[in-house]
Amino acid sequence: MTDPAGILSIHEDLDGQRVIHLQMQADGIVTGFNGHVDLGTGIETALAQIVAEELDLPLDAVQIVLGDTARTPDQGPTIASETIQVTAAPLRIAAAQMRHFLAGRAARRLNAPLDGVTVRNGRVQWRDTSVSLAEMVAGLDLSMRLDRTVPLKPVADYRIVGQPVGRRDLPQKLAGQYPYIHDLQVAGMVHGHVIRPPYAGRDSGAFVGHSLIGYDAAAVAGMAGLIGIVREGDFLAVVAETPQQAQTIAEALPVQWRLPPPLPDMADLKTTLQQAPSTPRVLDQTGDFAAGLAGCATRLDRTYLWPYHQHGSIGPSCAVADWNGGQPVVWGGTQNPHMLRADLARLVGLPPDAIEVRRLQAAGCYGRNCADDVCGDALLLSRAVGQPVRVQLTRAQEHLWEPKGAAQVMEVSGGLDTSGGIGAYALDTWYPSNNAPNLALLLTGRLSPEPRPSDMGDRTIIPPYRIPHKRITVHDMAPLVRAAWMRGVSALPNTFAHESYVDELAFAAGEDPVAFRLRHLDDPRTADLVRRTAEAAGWAERSGPRLRRAGRMAYGQGFAFATYVHGPFPGTAAAAAAWVCDVAVDTETGEVTLSRVFVGQDQGLVINPEGVRAQIHGNVIQTASRVLREEVTFDAIAPTPKSWASYPIQTFDEVPAIRSLLIERPDAPALGVGESAAVPAAAAIANAIFDATGVRLRAAPFTPEKLRQALQAQGGTAPALAPPARPAPGFLARLGLARPLARAAAAMGGALTLGAVALPFHAAIPPSPAPLATNFSAETLARGRQVFAAGDCAVCHTADGGTPHAGGRAMHTPFGTVYTTNLTPDPATGLGLWSFEAFDRAMRHGISRDGKNLYPVFPYTAFARIEAEDMFALYAYLQTLPPVAQPTPQAAMLAPVNLRPVNALWNTLFHDARPFATDLAKSDQWNRGKYLVEGAGHCSACHSGRNLLGAERRGAAAYGGAMVEGWWAPPLAGPAAQMRGWDEAALFSYLRQGHAPGLASASGPMGAVVASLTALPDADIRAMATYLADLAGPPLSAPAPTAEPLPGPASRLFRAACASCHAPGLPDTLTAAQVPLAGAAVLRAPTPEGLRTVIRHGIAAPLSLPLRDMPGFADELSAPQIEDLIHYLRARYAPDLPAWPGAGR
Amino acid sequence: MGLSFTLNGHPLSLDADDKALLLDVLRQDLGLTGPKYGCGLAQCGACTVLVDGKPARSCVLRAARVAGCHVTTLEGLADPQTGALHPVQQGFLEKQGAQCGYCLNGMVMSAVAFLAHTPAPTEAELRHALRDNLCRCGTHQEIIAAVLRAAELLAASGESRAHD
Repeated sequence: MTDPAGILSIHEDLDGQRVIHLQMQADGIVTGFNGHVDLGTGIETALAQIVAEELDLPLDAVQIVLGDTARTPDQGPTIASETIQVTAAPLRIAAAQMRHFLAGRAARRLNAPLDGVTVRNGRVQWRDTSVSLAEMVAGLDLSMRLDRTVPLKPVADYRIVGQPVGRRDLPQKLAGQYPYIHDLQVAGMVHGHVIRPPYAGRDSGAFVGHSLIGYDAAAVAGMAGLIGIVREGDFLAVVAETPQQAQTIAEALPVQWRLPPPLPDMADLKTTLQQAPSTPRVLDQTGDFAAGLAGCATRLDRTYLWPYHQHGSIGPSCAVADWNGGQPVVWGGTQNPHMLRADLARLVGLPPDAIEVRRLQAAGCYGRNCADDVCGDALLLSRAVGQPVRVQLTRAQEHLWEPKGAAQVMEVSGGLDTSGGIGAYALDTWYPSNNAPNLALLLTGRLSPEPRPSDMGDRTIIPPYRIPHKRITVHDMAPLVRAAWMRGVSALPNTFAHESYVDELAFAAGEDPVAFRLRHLDDPRTADLVRRTAEAAGWAERSGPRLRRAGRMAYGQGFAFATYVHGPFPGTAAAAAAWVCDVAVDTETGEVTLSRVFVGQDQGLVINPEGVRAQIHGNVIQTASRVLREEVTFDAIAPTPKSWASYPIQTFDEVPAIRSLLIERPDAPALGVGESAAVPAAAAIANAIFDATGVRLRAAPFTPEKLRQALQAQGGTAPALAPPARPAPGFLARLGLARPLARAAAAMGGALTLGAVALPFHAAIPPSPAPLATNFSAETLARGRQVFAAGDCAVCHTADGGTPHAGGRAMHTPFGTVYTTNLTPDPATGLGLWSFEAFDRAMRHGISRDGKNLYPVFPYTAFARIEAEDMFALYAYLQTLPPVAQPTPQAAMLAPVNLRPVNALWNTLFHDARPFATDLAKSDQWNRGKYLVEGAGHCSACHSGRNLLGAERRGAAAYGGAMVEGWWAPPLAGPAAQMRGWDEAALFSYLRQGHAPGLASASGPMGAVVASLTALPDADIRAMATYLADLAGPPLSAPAPTAEPLPGPASRLFRAACASCHAPGLPDTLTAAQVPLAGAAVLRAPTPEGLRTVIRHGIAAPLSLPLRDMPGFADELSAPQIEDLIHYLRARYAPDLPAWPGAGR
Repeated sequence: MGLSFTLNGHPLSLDADDKALLLDVLRQDLGLTGPKYGCGLAQCGACTVLVDGKPARSCVLRAARVAGCHVTTLEGLADPQTGALHPVQQGFLEKQGAQCGYCLNGMVMSAVAFLAHTPAPTEAELRHALRDNLCRCGTHQEIIAAVLRAAELLAASGESRAHD
């Protein structure tokens, strides 16, 4: 047995601080410490391989602690693919040193010569005796200084490094047991919800930190779970017992902000970037560029443009902080624990040593997301409330506030000399980015919000080719919006320029692009990569675009390569990567399919081939997505995307097949692979599109719209849609509202002045206590309950979130707002003093007990048909409702409709109080259905349009469909009601359970109506279905038509925001829509208002029905986006109908 | 209000607000960590669970809607007796179908549902089925291989069961 007390460490003293790199305990467990973190790349596994290799230990004996400020060295942020290349070095040396020391002790123990022992799998062997390394630690308590001169193991002897090893964190992740930061529970933890300022995603300008005018704490004072509201400058957050409570309170808190100043014109990035303040930094002035350019036989001036991108972590950032009496511990998903600790120290005025940052894995971040911000948020909140606080950002907060991957402009000037070689080359690049200061520092005012330029625009800025005359300049500039490094940093856009331009030159020279490159490459290792990749990928030589076509499809192949250079200029080279990719271009739609990518990569020594290939695949797929589809758009003030809806990323049906070639160079140092394969992407794809179509795209992303436009300009085949003019927003709304109102008012005014109509006078019926419910028979009450249900009384007579049946729901009419009344038997505010006579008169004639006329929004026009017995039963049933004292708010009607006598006139014009008449030519069932539909059911109140005076249309125009509180009540009669598949059975199913398979699901107010109808027996529902089926006429048999509009922003929005439920790839998804969009009534409505309402508010269907909900998108999508979407949906799913006004903007 | 359902084979009852989302109930009230919050809008799939065997995005599903149902999460896939991984989990392990792994829950749960529906998919069918599950790391190729491998393992386990 070994003594578990022993311990051996290897340390280093850095800046007066002792940091431990490696430790071995007598139980054989070895722990390595590294200040970097695992961003999802599997770096923990690779570092363990390195340590296990040098120590000759089994891999599972090694654990790696990453990014814990109390235990790991400060090795800077985890950026630039440096972990393997730079920060792994001390670990490797420490492991070698430890092995050397322990093997020496073992040799003495075994009485063996030092150079005679061998170490294998943790055991030191001498002839037939052996001892474990761990035993040699027993009883030790020793720390040795890192000795950088210790000999390292020859690569030829490697057994673990270079072998494919599975990710060590994967088994736990697969079981749902791996502790991500999002899963951390700390004892006593409460929850914070931050309220961010309206200047989303911006971090410089005087308004930052100074825009919060105030908030009304009293408005939320009584809300459940509230612990505190914390404000400092523009930092504002709510702390509550649960995350849901914190969010609910935060959303309810009235907050006043100053309006932020507008952004510069982000739609014209080139001008905006070039006009913003910047400082040129010339990095290479080989030869004499001006003279070289003058000597060029062919000259090309080109501008390449790169958009803003989202890092787009799949999990919004999360952190927990425990103030811990001034010795805070902060758990986060940071990429740079030590840098964060310094920021947090500044935020709360503590020395950095007083704070411990513990790093847990988070969702991959590929650069910089809100992981650090949220640590600052949590720390401020924990200090304020004295408890550990967890902060979880929403998807919208993460999308809006993450530091974006920066846009970039690259201008290239140069040309071919008289011998057809590159004669001169000048690159100017503008890169508006820095390291994105911690948001809490800026919001609280601890850090001044001045523009801070950085120097990271110079990555891979020097082209790899032999060029006699060069001038390479980076224009260092501050961010326009919050921005920081993102995978490939500026090397990716710079390479987009270099490698597109060299392709353009090759074409100008009439030479094969790969051969042209090789002719200008001096470095043999680079040339080897280019040559071998081209060969292995099956590069087809050409002297110009091959324009291969099959029908409307064009096919092409492109090449590009780069060595990713990171760190301050001139920087350090990471792995070099070359792409050969194949594209298929649909020349009608402009869609580009990246069908295959072949990557050759030279990363020196390969630590873990599995890990390297995974990084290649990730780089290819993510960067292809950025190149082909991604772009952050902006409104006047802030970035637009709040979710994947407005920022679609690659999906499974679009990702290319990927093959890779790892160039074997075991004797060369291991190079970082985290970003290299991303760097050639944009140029390779652009070059392939050129080969396919002859079109040269110089602005990413390469969207179908851009390609269609370019093909058309070239005289190609893409059709162009003529956009009809779109009226200014608001115009239609004003027209729609104002005109009928004016007309109605005029008509009524005219009628009043006639004076010839005798206005009937209605006497008040004296108050008389209603009989108690116990006075009625059970049969009467049961019948009354059904009438109550058939009339959906509860739906209108219950306010949103209010007490059932107590009224108070606002009913909006073109003439003003009426509030529904209290139906409960409360004497003062309800029907408690209403006799049956009074009730019956109100129901049939629209006259209140006090003699005043009721507004016809109360459907007494239908209730007049209710049979006497039913009316009495209803009256009886109302007495069983629990009395609630709740006065009805005063109606707010426009003149002259606010004069109740006007309603009396209205009745004489439009109200037919005759009782229901049976049609003897029809069946009993039909008559029963008609009675329910036209009487208590008052279906026409919603489904019939109204004339200018608010009366339901009758005759042929009855049941023609109408808007109700923003929802479309579709036609029940007439040609438009002759819908596909709607027959008696479908109507029965719909009215019975809210769902007619394949046809429709109840939404909006109809959900509540169906829920109310559940009280009716099947026979009544069937009767209604019989009547309604007759009303509609025989159903059409042809399926609802659909079309495929040209791809563009709206189709992408649909795909990203809607398709997972409305066109799901996975069959049987329980949360998907139950019915197809094709044929949906709301898409076939005369106006888009109903569709707009569904999209904005979503659907919350009654839980009593087997229906499904839909989230609302009012907070998610901008008004123009919703407009684009509704027109797209109409064009796609109701192509036989005319477009709604405003389409084709 | 009281809510009862079966979670990973164990019946349970708890108090849940009518508006509470299943994802919040699973993570906040029941302490599960398999289903993840990604978007809250059914866009990314990280929150996927199975309800009576059907895939559901728990971020848009009100918990009250699973009353009386069998809910299965990532935690409930392994064999409760032996602890052996579900064939889909095994496929992901063998083919290393994760980088950061935040989307992994949705990939695995969706694959379980899909393979139950389509036991021997082509790669094209699989890509179509998973197209509403987002992965930002670009692990798609490994995930495709993992699910195709899982289909083999499931077929094999079906055969071995058939011979029992």
